[in-house]
Amino acid sequence: MLDSKIKTKIAKQLEGIVGAQYITTQETDTVLNAHDAWPLSEAKIRAGEMLPLADIVVFPGSTEEVSEVLKIANKNKVPVTPVGGGAGTCGGTLPIYGGMQLDLKRMDKVLDIDHKSMLVRVEAGMVGIDLEEEVNRHGYMLGHTPTSMRASNVGGFLATRSGGSMSSLYGKIEDLTLGLEVVLADGSIVRTKAVPRHSVGPDLRELFIGSEGTLGVITEATLRLFPIPEERRFRSMAFVDVHSGLEAIRRIFRVGIVPSVVRFYDPEDTAMAMSQHFDVKEGDSMLLLAFDGAAEKVDHEERVSVEICKENGGKDFGDGPAKRWWAHRYDMYYPTKFTTAGFSIGDTIDIVATYDKLENVYRAMKTAMEAHEAFVMSHFSHMYQNGGSIYMIFFTSQPDAETAWATYRKIWDDGVAACLREGGTMSHQHGVGLSRSTYTEDELGSSFQVLKKIKDVLDPNGIMNPGKLGLGVQQ
Amino acid sequence: MIYDEDTAQQIRMCAACPKMCRHVCPTFLAWRSESPTPHGRALLLHQEIIGTRQLDDRAIDVLYQCLECSHCLTWCLPEIDIADIVETRRRQLVEEGRFPSGLNNMVDSIRTHHNPYKEPHEKRTSWLKIPKNDGRSLIYFTGCTAAYRENSIAQDAVSVLSSLGYQVGIPKDEWCCGSPLLRTGFVEDALEQARYNVEILNSMDAEEIVVTCPGCYRVLTQDYPKYGLEINKPVRHIAELLQSHLKSLPEFEIDGPVTFHDSCHLGRHSGVYEQPREVIERVSKGALVEMERNRDNAMCCGNGAGLRTLFPEHAKKIGAERVRQAERTGAKYLVTSCPFCKNMLESQAKDRLIVLDLPELVEMAKKRSHVKTD
Repeated sequence: MLDSKIKTKIAKQLEGIVGAQYITTQETDTVLNAHDAWPLSEAKIRAGEMLPLADIVVFPGSTEEVSEVLKIANKNKVPVTPVGGGAGTCGGTLPIYGGMQLDLKRMDKVLDIDHKSMLVRVEAGMVGIDLEEEVNRHGYMLGHTPTSMRASNVGGFLATRSGGSMSSLYGKIEDLTLGLEVVLADGSIVRTKAVPRHSVGPDLRELFIGSEGTLGVITEATLRLFPIPEERRFRSMAFVDVHSGLEAIRRIFRVGIVPSVVRFYDPEDTAMAMSQHFDVKEGDSMLLLAFDGAAEKVDHEERVSVEICKENGGKDFGDGPAKRWWAHRYDMYYPTKFTTAGFSIGDTIDIVATYDKLENVYRAMKTAMEAHEAFVMSHFSHMYQNGGSIYMIFFTSQPDAETAWATYRKIWDDGVAACLREGGTMSHQHGVGLSRSTYTEDELGSSFQVLKKIKDVLDPNGIMNPGKLGLGVQQ
Repeated sequence: MIYDEDTAQQIRMCAACPKMCRHVCPTFLAWRSESPTPHGRALLLHQEIIGTRQLDDRAIDVLYQCLECSHCLTWCLPEIDIADIVETRRRQLVEEGRFPSGLNNMVDSIRTHHNPYKEPHEKRTSWLKIPKNDGRSLIYFTGCTAAYRENSIAQDAVSVLSSLGYQVGIPKDEWCCGSPLLRTGFVEDALEQARYNVEILNSMDAEEIVVTCPGCYRVLTQDYPKYGLEINKPVRHIAELLQSHLKSLPEFEIDGPVTFHDSCHLGRHSGVYEQPREVIERVSKGALVEMERNRDNAMCCGNGAGLRTLFPEHAKKIGAERVRQAERTGAKYLVTSCPFCKNMLESQAKDRLIVLDLPELVEMAKKRSHVKTD
């Protein structure tokens, strides 16, 4: 926490930049701004614990204001935690060392739509669903549909290297972003040119995508747009086991078909998500597919995919389960009495691996997590030609807070250890934040030192989101 | 604790929700901060309930930075009614004497003048011209905004009702319905107004009561009975009444598309969505075009639950956004069925849209058509 004299001095200086109404030191505002959607934070809130608070929350309205704010923070060596929609699931916006939260929500404008190149230039504070609705009005879609769409911002998409449910076809945010504007810790403004491809050295845009505010503040992005597809068709197939379903998915991609949605639920997740609505045999695993595009293309993709599924023992459930999932895809994000009772806590470890390792990673993680009496259910989603992601979802309920938080941590520790041991990567789209911060070095191995060196050069005072991404941890 | 166990559980769920409704919250739009949001309000209340942190002055401000529009409820799968939860706490805050001082003028004005505008009570309806008619008797409860700020709504309502054959009676001494007081927590003051109104209305000889203000409508039909105050005649909003006379309403060739703004009190809080639309479709010969956000997903105009009194600039931001949403339809006319909404929307539309209340549209149709309306 900042010394009160320094806090007052800095607050005064910030007022001069953004205006008095766009800065607050009120405890109520810092409490309400403190948390993102990290399940551990949410559980602690329910349990009545206070989360770490910033000393100051500042709401700049332009890139230039962000720059001036960072100059002040850097000069005074004040920690800065950038905040977008506050919808991350890893505690990435928790101001664990106090200081300043730099909230980008006022920067919420679409700056330009380039119809010829199918690009949109947008400020980082725009809420995802607002941007999607705006581009829909022009006949486009983003192709980026994270479950947090109603709450997360463009800046958060980028900072966490996020992915949506249709990433198989349209890509993750790193595939959807052509240009970036970033403000560095010293206030300098960096712009990477929006071009489809280039060969001018390493792609510095990639350096900031996924940097979680530790290397700078993303203030603007140029994103790709897609025409709204003529048709989106759904199909669902049930398999007797996880292995045969995964084989079907792998072969679908191998023949060159790229569905927009590929979600494959293991027996536990199938029972939880499907069995109330569809007559699925106990122990079966359900695959949901969607195909986007012109009718002829969709016809072909659907027909070939169904053939492959059937060759692998798939039972046809028509469009029902997949269509129902699409209509209710945001529902699982809502709290329920069950998931918020007592000291209950559920979370997802969203890992990614290549096909040769995927099934082993799944089984190893499941075993490791279930060893702590957690209920574990999983789905394979965000599938690609070479592999895909697994949502390892767990739920635990304990008699008291201390046991609950400790159990939560053990599940994470052992789950991630099993993932790394079997050759997986510990996050596909949620990022690192605090929940994975301690595993970053193990995950990145020797390349972690490269990241650290880059961090030291770009942020020598260590003010940018310290403690996240395994960087800037203070003793 | 002022909340029962079930409500406390709902507050706890809302406090830790990943903000699934925040994108439609008008005060989030106006402030672009986590504080005036549904989950923000719930978090403050949850912390108070379980003793983590008491409400400070800023927290009280946050609880008054709410329109009680219930738009969040439309998007809430667990159906947590944060507007009702906030209003419950506001009542307690008023009892504790911890309400924002910016409300004092409004409360004093209603106590003294029986309207929130500090206008002389004796001029409330004295200006209204009531045509003589021998038809069915009906009481028109004007409400403060039509009486003092949107006179043409009241006058056109009377004219349209008379044209439909009603013998319109105006209460000689109508007081504020109490809506601004109830929504901001001043129950006792509201009930003083309410008791008087009920006495006056019950003493009048008429078949029914009609209102043009959805705030009045909600209070007369829902809040008065909740507090044991029964009106001895049916109460209808004018949209409902006009819809029941659909075939008798005039039609005319309107010179542009019409879009409709649902008021929160009439729509989400009273479930009246289709009747005003049917009226518009009839009189404009099918010129209605919908905004993207309509019916239970309609955005509030920004005026509700004391927000305009306490935070006028933010209220206007919300009104301006609703006007932008209306403009996006390509409409020439923005029609609502609430004098308070009309007042806000017209102030923000400037000359970009023609903003009318429903009786004004019907009166316009009457004047421009040659169809008899008896």
